[in-house]
Amino acid sequence: MAGFKSRGLGPWRVGVLFSRSGCTAVIEQTQLWATLLALEEINRSGGVNGREIVPVVYDPMSDPATFASYAKRLMVEDGVTAIFGCYTSSSRKAVIPVVERLNGLLWYPTPYEGFEFSPNVIYTGPAPNQNSVALCRFLMERYGKRFCLIGSDYVYPRESNRIMRELVRANGGEICGETYVSLRARHRDFVPVLSEIKRLRPDVIFSTVVGDSTSCLYQAYHDAGFDPRVIPIGSLTTTEAEVAAMGADVAEGHITAASYFESVRTDQNSSFVRKYKKRYGEDEPTNMCAEAAYFQVHIFAKALAHTDSLDTDLLRPAVLGTEFDAPQGTVSVSETYAHTDLWTRIGRVDSHGRFEILEQSCGQVDADPYLIGSGRVLACG
Amino acid sequence: MMPSTEGSSRAEFAKFDAVVAMRRDEDAEFLIRELQHTRAQVRHVWPLPDRLPEDTDVVFCGLEPGLPGRIPWVPGEPKAALVVVLASGIMPDLDLLVNSAPDAVLYRPITRNGVLVSLVLARNHFAYDRRLRWRINKLDESLRGMRAVERAKQILMHTRQMGEEEAYRFMRGQAMKRRAPISAIAATIIDSHEMLS
Repeated sequence: MAGFKSRGLGPWRVGVLFSRSGCTAVIEQTQLWATLLALEEINRSGGVNGREIVPVVYDPMSDPATFASYAKRLMVEDGVTAIFGCYTSSSRKAVIPVVERLNGLLWYPTPYEGFEFSPNVIYTGPAPNQNSVALCRFLMERYGKRFCLIGSDYVYPRESNRIMRELVRANGGEICGETYVSLRARHRDFVPVLSEIKRLRPDVIFSTVVGDSTSCLYQAYHDAGFDPRVIPIGSLTTTEAEVAAMGADVAEGHITAASYFESVRTDQNSSFVRKYKKRYGEDEPTNMCAEAAYFQVHIFAKALAHTDSLDTDLLRPAVLGTEFDAPQGTVSVSETYAHTDLWTRIGRVDSHGRFEILEQSCGQVDADPYLIGSGRVLACG
Repeated sequence: MMPSTEGSSRAEFAKFDAVVAMRRDEDAEFLIRELQHTRAQVRHVWPLPDRLPEDTDVVFCGLEPGLPGRIPWVPGEPKAALVVVLASGIMPDLDLLVNSAPDAVLYRPITRNGVLVSLVLARNHFAYDRRLRWRINKLDESLRGMRAVERAKQILMHTRQMGEEEAYRFMRGQAMKRRAPISAIAATIIDSHEMLS
């Protein structure tokens, strides 16, 4: 570790809130790892303006109320203003009142349902126009127009399905079924759902099942004898982490839309993947949520070097409008909504559990969280 | 000049419930008495509990170390107005003050004016804050509703050969007739269209 020039100032302290236990721990753990990896990189090259960044890390246990109380503890007792964290929309919505009232800055590295803006959040995962629109078009062109929707029962799936329903309908497709299961759903909970889907004979299953039950859905699908070449599951949240949990044999052939896959070919990504595996193990794949968690720390550090202050009123303006060469490609934080302009990609799981990239945008897709200029008729290309 | 405690302002306080979480000294006694004069229902709690009561309208308490941890709500979602009581002539811990997110402060020695000013300000600020949060929620809802209305309008235009204005008029008419928000009517139109086609 590099020695830090003491200027009589202590280290920069930041908060980190990703769950290491509970139903979304598998994916949140990768976001935690990527966050810590980025911080280590920055500290190894001398910190920010000669000062180390020290994370204060809590485990909110996949529980929104615990997220809120740790956010409060970070800001009130630990004196932190910048917080990296949250996976589910329920946890983000629990943390927002705290950062808004105490003027903190939440960095949120996860795809979400859009229709939100907060002066105290930087959103670095995709909004629906950066993933749902492309996924819907791809599935309709490739597989057909009858969609079955299945999701976990909370805010993100219901809102994402509302948007997907609009997209499908506006383009001459049809929703032939819509089901919600508990965030803690097990294998047996999906058996009746899948036999009903078999009866409905859709062309596509659009899944917004998240967390541990993702594996159960794909495994139950596999056991029920579906063929992903004919009726694939399309998802916005099934990443390399979930694929590793369910097994490549079960995941093969299914489709995910994301701004990043481990298989993206950029120099930044080769370096990110290499460092991630060196730090956490050769068998640990990177994924879209980890990538966003990683690059957002670098964007934060760049802005901090400029402001030399963690004051949200100074830091936030320094973040807006900045560009960064992320593993997925160049991204930039848009000024209007503090969402990030990201890449759009469609990936299909191959027999090794890796995503083969079937399509990608020519460049960054501007974030449009309120779907003001996008999301009705699916323009091709 | 003394503010009037007669008439309307006294009536305004008539149904309030207040909690005083302070050591029972002269100032606390005076505060409780003054609050009772405004016809508030006052509860005294001491020693300071780990969790302050939240089933009340306004809480008075000193700026004790660790106060934010004893406030039972998360900042940004307060359940009651908060007045922090400060000592005169001593600089308070400003971080602690900001982190406690009070709606008003009251200085010792406590005076009648001070009690009324902090009470009015705290309740007023708390209510305004709540109205703003309510308005933001409404705006979010309306944004979503507008998309539904747009979609329903298109359905009506296509399936019923209505013009744009006519489609809006139809939905407004249905909303009035059923006493439902227009976004709910739009959602029903979309749902039934999806079911039938």
